[in-house]
Amino acid sequence: MPHFPVTNGLSEAEFAAWIDKLGVEAAGRAELLALLREDHSVYDQRGATAVVRMRGWILLALARHSLTDEALLFVLEELDTGRDPYLVAASALALRSYPAPAAAFAPFVMRALNNIRYHDEPVNFNAYGEYATAATEVTPVRELLATLRWLGPTARAVLPELEALRANRASFSRKVLVEFDRTIMAMTQGSAPDVGLRDACCSLPNFFGNALSWGRESRRGCEPVESILFEDQDGGSVTFSEFFCRQPCIVVFFYTRCDNPQKCSLTIAKLARIQGLLAERGLSDQIRTAAITYDPSFDGADRIRGYGANRGVRFGGGHRMLRPTGGIDALRAHFKLGVNFVESLVNRHRIEVYLLDAAGAIARSYERIHWDEQEIVAQAGALLREDDLPVTSRTRATPTRRAASSRGLPIAGTLASLGFAFFPKCPFCWAAYLSVFGIAGLEQIPYLPWLKPLFVVLMLLNVFSVWVRSRTTRRATALVVVLAGALAIALSRIVPDLAQLGAWLGVGLTLTGSFLSAMQGARPAASFFLPRAAAPARE
Amino acid sequence: MAQTAPAVCGNDDNFQAMIKVLRDVNEPVPVRLAALQALQAASFAVLQFESCRGDYIAALRSIATDADPEIRQRALGLLARENDGFAQQKLLEGLQDPTKALVPPEKALQLLSYDVHAESYPVARMIVANPPNDEAKQEALRLLGADASAQPLFERVLRNKDETKEVRQIAASALHAIAPKALQTHARAMLLDPKEYDDIQATSLTALTQFGDAAKVEKDDKLMERIGSFKKAESSKLKQGARAFFAKINM
Repeated sequence: MPHFPVTNGLSEAEFAAWIDKLGVEAAGRAELLALLREDHSVYDQRGATAVVRMRGWILLALARHSLTDEALLFVLEELDTGRDPYLVAASALALRSYPAPAAAFAPFVMRALNNIRYHDEPVNFNAYGEYATAATEVTPVRELLATLRWLGPTARAVLPELEALRANRASFSRKVLVEFDRTIMAMTQGSAPDVGLRDACCSLPNFFGNALSWGRESRRGCEPVESILFEDQDGGSVTFSEFFCRQPCIVVFFYTRCDNPQKCSLTIAKLARIQGLLAERGLSDQIRTAAITYDPSFDGADRIRGYGANRGVRFGGGHRMLRPTGGIDALRAHFKLGVNFVESLVNRHRIEVYLLDAAGAIARSYERIHWDEQEIVAQAGALLREDDLPVTSRTRATPTRRAASSRGLPIAGTLASLGFAFFPKCPFCWAAYLSVFGIAGLEQIPYLPWLKPLFVVLMLLNVFSVWVRSRTTRRATALVVVLAGALAIALSRIVPDLAQLGAWLGVGLTLTGSFLSAMQGARPAASFFLPRAAAPARE
Repeated sequence: MAQTAPAVCGNDDNFQAMIKVLRDVNEPVPVRLAALQALQAASFAVLQFESCRGDYIAALRSIATDADPEIRQRALGLLARENDGFAQQKLLEGLQDPTKALVPPEKALQLLSYDVHAESYPVARMIVANPPNDEAKQEALRLLGADASAQPLFERVLRNKDETKEVRQIAASALHAIAPKALQTHARAMLLDPKEYDDIQATSLTALTQFGDAAKVEKDDKLMERIGSFKKAESSKLKQGARAFFAKINM
């Protein structure tokens, strides 16, 4: 299938024609899926209503074939938080193309029904960009009811809620009430699923995951953003590294002009609840929280402070609302933010929350579907414990206590290598050394044979510590030099002819390698012996 | 029809009859407007109107392109308040191509400004640069007042003595919203400018009084002296502004 240059230069008519082409071929699904990402260039500089039309058309195209697991997340997201009638109706229709009904979908459909009932209006799926100008059979409420009918008995867990909604007769037209009755009948008839209904309704299938996590060794460093300067809600300034590279942090994104109460407003209210949970557990001083605005040119310090305060956010040194004063593009790229803009204003964004480790690297993220505050706090607590484990791998050097101590190791190891290289072979040698040191008044040092194996151990420890640091910095030069030094020292002890040259060469190489190891900063990309930042695990 | 307004959605037959009148181009315009008013009044009761909303929105879209300009404008106004994509599309088309305009440009801009997420900033900038009339330019500037990237435009308009008083005051108001510190700087400069118009100086004085840093202003001898001189100014607005300023800083 030829790749079409889908960019923001495309007219909506051209876009629709291309989506139609992709929709008829199963091979086009991957591209359709990619187009659902909010940060896709096709949404750049489009108005919010244009974005709605475009995304709705993609969902309808996806629904022409069986809905895949990957696409399911986007459909459920719209049902979870969507407020636009067209998108909600398209999502309800798309969900019905999933291979089999699942009880876990029912709460999403019910939530959408509650969200959209006061915005119910006819929609037109017949042609791209068309709006219904007459009463039609297609409305989001009707589509949602049709989806509940498709779910049938598997959706029985939400039956009481649906019946309560139906009981309010004045809220729906006669035609819609008839559909309610049909739906209730479809849900009550037939056999219920084997699993306990309550459990089934509240847990998503295993394949479904809105959480991504990165192992410690595969986390990307924050070098590209560490110098970005933020202004906080009180007008204070702080850089990314100053705020985020000290302690684990829970980060959410928002903007004050968001008109969807299910998104930014709720996200900030939930952040306030997270702060409450942290305080209850005595973790407020150990885990930071931050809310970063997508719209820094409009969201000044006063605005973000008021927005947070009105939603119960508590402010403090480790708990801030921030607006980047520059580098928004770098920030977007670093977090891979699901957001796009028309001029400086957001035209579409997803819900997203990130958990950063104490080095400021992204350890976990939750996207699209509403996240659970308890789980976020628990996961942040796990990061805190992770920080207490020995540092065997870090993605970058950070100005923390732990990073500083890892620099100290090579220095101790170097001294050990020196000791081993020049350790006297026998009591006579020791006497010779003492005769020299005697001039300096060190004649009281006794010959201690057990020092030799100790120096060997310490030298090996030095090699190990340089190896650890090289994984952290993603630089191999120091390790190679120190290994060569250790080899030269070992040879000098084994081959008598190399005693002098090997010892001095070994010491020189060890010193150089250790110095390099202690001084080198982290390399941004992975080097030959480290895998590139691994793909995150979807949970 | 006006009498039945509150109950219009309670009875499906009444509601459909009202919608039919509204859509019927053969009905006299005042009758159709009365039907529209009744439906609009009923829509305020959101919960009771829930079952009727879909048909109401569809009917509004159908009359948004009506031959009668008042009906068109009313329908587009109601839809724009709902951030309706159909209405926004029609309004933008009309601004980009005046032959397709359903309402005057100033009205279209005003209706588009209800939704900051509408794709209206480029067309508003185009109208500021080449306005069909003064009202359209004012509405375009008001709309851009929510666009943080428009700060340089507003600074330019504010300091341009060739612009009308209304346009410059809109610029001051927009600057206060998107760049309050910049407005304070310009307000000071305009107050010290002996050739500046009284109305604009009065606006600047209000900005300084209400939103300025009093402690900083009090230390600004040149500015304090200038504001003091306004007590004896011919313009009543300036005199009033000076009194309010000194009352605020307790002098």
